[in-house]
Amino acid sequence: MPCERKPMRYGHSEGHTEVCFDDTGEFIVTCGSDGDVRIWKGLDDDDPKFITVGEKAYSLALKNGKLVTASSNNTVQIHTFPDGDPDGILTRFTASATHVTFNSSSSRVAAGSSDFMVKVVEVSDSSQQKTLRGHEAPVLSVTFDPKDDFLASASCDGSVVVWNIEEQTQVISWPLLQKTNDVSNAKSLCRLSWQPGLYLAVPVDTKVHLYKRGSWEQVSTLSDDLLTQPINVVAWSPCGQFLAAGSVGGLLTMWDVNSKLCVERCKHEKGFTVCCLAWHPSGSQIAYTDTEGCLGLLDGLSTSTSVPNTPAKDYDDLFDNDDDDRLMDEGLSDTNSPVKKPAAGDDDDDDFMPVTGRVRNRGAILDDENSLDTGSLKLGQEKFGDDDDDAGSAVVPAAAPLPFRPIYEGPLPTPPQKAFQPGSTPAHLMHRFMMWNSVGIVRSYNDEQDNAIDVEFHDTAVHHAMHLTNSLGHTMADISQEAVLLACPSTDELASKLQCLHFSSWDTNKEWMVDLPRGEDAKALCLGQGWMAVATSTLMLRLFSIGGLQREIVSLPGPVVCLAGHGQQLLIVYHRATGFDGEQSLGVQLLQFGRRKKQIINGEPLPLSQKSYLSWLGFTAEGTPCYVDSDGVVRMLKRSLGKNLGNRWTPVCNTRETCKSKSDHYWVVGVHENPQQLRCIPCKGSRYPPTLPRPAVAILPFKLPLCQTATEKGQMEEQFWRSVLFYNHYSFLSSSGYEIDEDGQRQSQKEQQELLMKMFALSCKLEREFRCVELAELMTQNVVTLAIRYASRSRRLALAQRLSEIALEKANELQEEGPEEQEDEYSIVRLLIGRMVKILMACVQVPDLGKPPASSGQPRVTNILDNMMSSRKSTPLGGSAGRPNKSPVLKPLAPRPKSKAVSKKTQESTEPAAEQQKPPDIRPPASTADNTENKRPKTGFQLWLEENRKSIVADHPDLEETDIIKEAMGRFRTLSAEERLTWTERAKGHTGDAAELKKRKRVEGGDVENENGQAEADENNAKKKKSLDPSSKLSAFAFNRT
Amino acid sequence: MDPSEVEFLAEKEMVKIIPNFSLDKIYLIGGDLGPFNPGLPVDVPVWLALNLKQRQKCRIVPPEWMDVEKLEEIRELERKEDAFTAVPSPYYMELTKLLLNHASDNIPKADEIRTLVKDIWDTRIAKLRCSADSFISQQEAHAQLDNLTLMEINTIRSFLLDSLNCMYKLRSNLLPGSNKGQFTDY
Repeated sequence: MPCERKPMRYGHSEGHTEVCFDDTGEFIVTCGSDGDVRIWKGLDDDDPKFITVGEKAYSLALKNGKLVTASSNNTVQIHTFPDGDPDGILTRFTASATHVTFNSSSSRVAAGSSDFMVKVVEVSDSSQQKTLRGHEAPVLSVTFDPKDDFLASASCDGSVVVWNIEEQTQVISWPLLQKTNDVSNAKSLCRLSWQPGLYLAVPVDTKVHLYKRGSWEQVSTLSDDLLTQPINVVAWSPCGQFLAAGSVGGLLTMWDVNSKLCVERCKHEKGFTVCCLAWHPSGSQIAYTDTEGCLGLLDGLSTSTSVPNTPAKDYDDLFDNDDDDRLMDEGLSDTNSPVKKPAAGDDDDDDFMPVTGRVRNRGAILDDENSLDTGSLKLGQEKFGDDDDDAGSAVVPAAAPLPFRPIYEGPLPTPPQKAFQPGSTPAHLMHRFMMWNSVGIVRSYNDEQDNAIDVEFHDTAVHHAMHLTNSLGHTMADISQEAVLLACPSTDELASKLQCLHFSSWDTNKEWMVDLPRGEDAKALCLGQGWMAVATSTLMLRLFSIGGLQREIVSLPGPVVCLAGHGQQLLIVYHRATGFDGEQSLGVQLLQFGRRKKQIINGEPLPLSQKSYLSWLGFTAEGTPCYVDSDGVVRMLKRSLGKNLGNRWTPVCNTRETCKSKSDHYWVVGVHENPQQLRCIPCKGSRYPPTLPRPAVAILPFKLPLCQTATEKGQMEEQFWRSVLFYNHYSFLSSSGYEIDEDGQRQSQKEQQELLMKMFALSCKLEREFRCVELAELMTQNVVTLAIRYASRSRRLALAQRLSEIALEKANELQEEGPEEQEDEYSIVRLLIGRMVKILMACVQVPDLGKPPASSGQPRVTNILDNMMSSRKSTPLGGSAGRPNKSPVLKPLAPRPKSKAVSKKTQESTEPAAEQQKPPDIRPPASTADNTENKRPKTGFQLWLEENRKSIVADHPDLEETDIIKEAMGRFRTLSAEERLTWTERAKGHTGDAAELKKRKRVEGGDVENENGQAEADENNAKKKKSLDPSSKLSAFAFNRT
Repeated sequence: MDPSEVEFLAEKEMVKIIPNFSLDKIYLIGGDLGPFNPGLPVDVPVWLALNLKQRQKCRIVPPEWMDVEKLEEIRELERKEDAFTAVPSPYYMELTKLLLNHASDNIPKADEIRTLVKDIWDTRIAKLRCSADSFISQQEAHAQLDNLTLMEINTIRSFLLDSLNCMYKLRSNLLPGSNKGQFTDY
């Protein structure tokens, strides 16, 4: 099989150099005698990232985002990959370590040292280590059995030993090598390699011995005639079919294990000693380094067995990329969670192929930039497609049983985000915030000197600061005015524990602790008022009282993401399902305890920004649920009271908009509705703040993402809706029986109405009268009257009329809603109508206004049924000016007596009926304009009114003066044009003969008012005189004004 | 005007504190302060900040300029320029002294800041002395000094005025035919 030898390049200063690939094969990682670890994006990368690990680096191993190096200060250190942050010291020796390696599940690291010892250390807990003693000279190399039972090591004392790791005993020892006194003098580094299946390969001089696992028999020897110098290093291909070897003379050889034939030879371009070999995870490349610090690459190797694994591999790659990307994020620490180890171990038992279908416990959190790289997917397919042809014959039986899986190209599942505590920083940090909320701060320190928790209250009046030693290893915390709640995950010996410091307790026992059942880990917790909740790994929600009583146990529909509590409310967010393409699929429940126990939100999906995850969850100080996603969008619940559960999440702020640079974030610690404050900590270049220097809280304003907020209109709209949203909590609080700040509520209403009025004025200015009406429908009644005044003053009479109708509707609604409040409302209505009449009188009397007000059709309030229609509906109706049913403009006032009648029930039932009958009979009064005499103090109408007042009063004895005028106008309208003309004529010419007038009036009255009771009329006779004066005054006022 | 009075004026400067108690707005003649929310930064005058700090009721957030890097920059500029440079606060000296004396635990690198501010002060006072020296030696009638702070003016005022008076007296004595001189001769 042909392969391409890429030109060598300098990697490190001369000396022993080692190389490996990262899990995805994206990076080549080398270390050398200059003490640096370099991360190459490829052989051509001219600016590799580097991590300085010590004065000299002897060996490195990389797996699962952990970079383990053996450096000259006798230590084995861990760094995170690819960031290169130091992650602690794994173990120490008395002399320098010579070789380090991971086991297949990357849970353990083995290190051989010049002090003759081999150590096996747990990565997650470096205190758990096993020492293998028995070598009598420096250890040359170590390698793990793929099943993790055994470990093989080679030493300068000439022996190659297989150890049982658990028992720390030698299983077998072969004296194969030449004895030397130091690694530097050894002829060969004797890097052993264990096939991901059976065989242990041991380079012995110019040959490679293969030993069978278990029986420890030498099953075969691989050799090549061209190999004249000792083999330094051997490495199995990921599929286990090929073995590559690098010799001291610079020859690279590859054997097919089944045929035992040499399939590839390649000479180092300068003949330097090859001291390290590494296979690309796909098996298509080998990277190698020499003792001069150079790095080389063999490309285009074909290993046929990896073909069937392609989809799985690429699939895995995608998640590996996620792992790498998300290093800045929370959840990093979880890569070593205990769940992982058994999973990976099981897989290796079933399957030889390390790349096949390995269940990875992927990182919790995806990065923003994380997206699927379809390009790389394709590339991989092509590569393997080619291989299929020439290597088809070489398929090994071991790999054949694997079914060929079709390549999946659809959406890929997103790793579900890990459970977290809102307001905490990632658990892997040595100094971290376990909780920062509106009550206080819980910090944890976990370094060499100290493992402690500091609790500090913002308000020292709540409690003084506390300092606890964290002997249990708590990772979760919550703090409230009553207690501090801590929880730790379970360990091998100890169950997951819940510790509550109930400092507000009045008895002397301020603390209690409870063990969760075995196999159940606390995942999230929260404190409410008098209760606490813990969500566990067994999809259980356990409720406790603050004193430690177990109260309730609830099954959750999915793995919990986080909890939040406030007062009697509990908010739960959990995974509803698997999300795809970077999306999380979260569900939310909102429960209410206490007297009014109920479930308010029952498992609705939680809306998140695209490809983001939840980063904060909580309640505002006023008790409205609220959350923040990783895109910085803050959303708040808009509760709607009433039966229809119309709770909606509204975005109220985007914290990223205020960030200066892309990598800056705001770490939210609290939300307040009154005053409107988003309390958060600005973090430069990270998602969360460090504990030192002590971060300062900043306050961000809220801003609803409405359109065109740069314009005045957009601004006011934003302000208005924000105000509506943020004062929504008053209604919730009052409905759930809390005391509310009534002043504040009134203030907020005033603010909203002021904004509406401003918007109204703006729309007026922009000649948007339709919009004005829409605005008026949002206004309260008294503000509508203001609006009417504004409209009439700015000479928008059509608008004023429509507004007056709205005002009337609102008045009616008020009356219908609350008859008991009638007296109060009624006075408002009266006031309102008085104003309207003034305006309308003005309209009637001013002909030069052009359009007579009556000409615009007003069909909608002509009867009581229309009145009951919702205002929204009626607006378009009112707009249809071309309707045949043209009723007079003053008619809308007619239903007033009706509604009154309903409440009072003293009136004759026939009368409202008659009222309702009227409108259809009315003909268009095109005659208002014919009141041409506006220089005269009295108009025709007034004259007519004087005559007819009595009859009107008789009809409606309970009417006020203004109502009488209205009614009168209505009636005047119903007169025929000629009649009206005569009245006008009379007014003009002063020819009014009183007697004639009276007569006329009687006739009229008889016609129009069929049920006009004479007795009633007499009764009201007295009123007549009195009520005359105001009406004339009113008309005079109207006249003067216009 | 003595330094304590200047310090008194400096105490009117606003500074951010993080209170650990909660209190509604307080209404004072000089203006409203607060409301105080635990954990939330609020601007208060220095006198109140120090008072609260002494009662352990708050943490003081150092002013923005009270930062080692910024002060180093200012110091370099001050040393480079011949004239007085603009200072970050008209009461930088007083504020540094007050805050560092009472709240050094809330200010990172307090000692360095103290040294830096002292350096700046020394540089400026040296400049001031130089200019006073040249003012007198060249017998100028007036001089313009920009960017001087009240405290700096105050330190040199009494000395300069007294000495100028003194010199005026001496000079007027020297003048031949001066009434005053003759009079004192007797």
